[in-house]
Amino acid sequence: MDTLNELLGGFATAMTWQNLIFAFLGCLLGTIIGVLPGVGPVAGVALLIPLTLNLDPAGSIIMLCAIFYGTQYGGTITSVLLNTPGEASSAITTIDGYAMTKIGRAGAALTLAAVGSFIGGTVATIGLVAAAKPLGELGLLVGPPEFFALMVVGISLLVALAGKSMVKALISGALGLLISMVGIDPVAGAPRFTFGMDRLLDGVSFVAVIVGVFGLSEILSYRKNAETPLVHAPGFRSLFPSRTEWRRSAPAMARGTGVGFGLGLIPGMTGSVSSLLSYASEKKFSRFRHELGRGAVEGVAGPETANNAHANAALIPLFTLGIPASPTIAVLMGAFLQQGLTPGPSLFTEHSEIAWAIIASLFIGNVLLLLLNVPLVGLWTSILRVPTPILTALILLFMVIGAYTINFSVFDVFVMIGFGLLGLALRNLDIPLAPMVLTLVLGPLMERSLRESLEISQGDFSVFLNRPISAVLIALGVLIICSPLLKFRKPKALTEDPEA
Amino acid sequence: MTQSPARARPARSVLAGIAAFGALGAYVLVSSVGLGLWTSLGPGPGLFPFAMGAVLASMSVLWLLQELKRPSAAGEGADGGLVLAVVVSLVLLAALLDLLGFQVSMFLFLMYHLKIRGKRGWLSALLTALAGSVGAFYAFNYGLNVALPVSSIPVLNLIGL
Repeated sequence: MDTLNELLGGFATAMTWQNLIFAFLGCLLGTIIGVLPGVGPVAGVALLIPLTLNLDPAGSIIMLCAIFYGTQYGGTITSVLLNTPGEASSAITTIDGYAMTKIGRAGAALTLAAVGSFIGGTVATIGLVAAAKPLGELGLLVGPPEFFALMVVGISLLVALAGKSMVKALISGALGLLISMVGIDPVAGAPRFTFGMDRLLDGVSFVAVIVGVFGLSEILSYRKNAETPLVHAPGFRSLFPSRTEWRRSAPAMARGTGVGFGLGLIPGMTGSVSSLLSYASEKKFSRFRHELGRGAVEGVAGPETANNAHANAALIPLFTLGIPASPTIAVLMGAFLQQGLTPGPSLFTEHSEIAWAIIASLFIGNVLLLLLNVPLVGLWTSILRVPTPILTALILLFMVIGAYTINFSVFDVFVMIGFGLLGLALRNLDIPLAPMVLTLVLGPLMERSLRESLEISQGDFSVFLNRPISAVLIALGVLIICSPLLKFRKPKALTEDPEA
Repeated sequence: MTQSPARARPARSVLAGIAAFGALGAYVLVSSVGLGLWTSLGPGPGLFPFAMGAVLASMSVLWLLQELKRPSAAGEGADGGLVLAVVVSLVLLAALLDLLGFQVSMFLFLMYHLKIRGKRGWLSALLTALAGSVGAFYAFNYGLNVALPVSSIPVLNLIGL
């Protein structure tokens, strides 16, 4: 009952006209980022953080969350109409989505994807509401050693699951942690790795780093390819699926919700894995599995439901334990921290009103996206007709504004350029970027909890093993990191994960 | 009978990457010792970086061993012309941002990318560049309350640029 009252209070805040506008703008911008093949959700969310800096904390996070799941909706459109995934998590949708376009059912595919996304997202948000209180209370019992151990597990999972080589993933993770350590040391106050530059005493701007590593490096790695694609928006009447299509999609959506929700809770699992596994489950369980690959609605409804359920479920570990489960959520966590909000159990005690307003806005955002996405398909496809040079120039413009406005300093623009080149080098060396962004955000928190733990125990490292919860978590982390030695084989979906 | 292929060697770019990470790890190891690994109060500011330096250095060695054993295929590499054009134009833009102000420097930057590199028509390039420079300046300053820089040259500053 308490939870319900708080949720209703959250709705009251989220439904003020300002917050509704922020949610609407977020959905709109998120969909555009999703539609544009060059900009992924990580860079997209980071890029737009500066837009929200002057908003109040609730409005700012509401807008960024809307951008985040808007990208999930938007990614579908190009998958279906163009055979090019706007986001990695929609890649599998191209198979049956594009096949449906070829047989004239593009409109139905888009509608079913949007409805599936809505269902997946809403169910996962209900899960967040149910889990918030109990997990939050459990989280309050967690001391610095447990918190440190929890982060070790989160990072180990991401390192173990990212890319093909754990060695490269560890390099990426260590790099992120080192970048996060630049500046004044939080405990002793000593400057670290500042190379005598006063500007580095406050550390490196995380927005500039993310925009550089994820956004600019993406543009730098463009290759000369095809001309602006020819796309045709489906007509209004074709947007309505037939009764058979509805009936066939329902079980796929149910399975997709289960897969996405379950995997979304696990740090390191990306939306792509959810949609790939959802497709695999359709291949196994669907009554119409023989039609998959030839324009079967299940191949669109299942994965699209799964990736949105995943995106929303991934917010559960962030809100309740303060652990970001994916790179995009890590960027979102960075935005929370910039607004003075620390995600985790204390969020519900110290900023209860804001936390519930954000949760309520997730419901509202999913409704807005359902209403926006399909009827405006003509507008989204017209964005795709904008010639590449114009798009590239405008994306660069936003990157410069984004990096500059964080501290109103040209220095951060140079930081972005430098990290863009680093990102390009990492891409060429096939080093996954995901562990880096996670450790970049978690680095300061992780170091603080490690040092607090060691201060409590007066320097005795056994503090991590004497407490049962942290001992189990540390053991789990070690097991995950050592898994290659134990010759565990990663499922195919993970080694081929394009997001890792 | 076909000849057995010559033993593949690690790509030069990969070796350079490994060397760079190894050197960074070694630098971090040395400098974190200087920061102090342990103090009378407990862990010092150098402890955590030391651990990360150790991870970087040891993983670089492991990666080198892996490459020597089984070289990975070299990446496709980026389009050098594009990288140069984007990076140099961005560096110039950043260098001129405070001097010329956002509107003038961004206008020039966009015109370069639209007209010279993108080969767009004059009208389309001019309109887009104006919207992205002057338009963005006013939208951010007055719409979002985010102040973008104005020129430090008095004449330009006087006319609102």
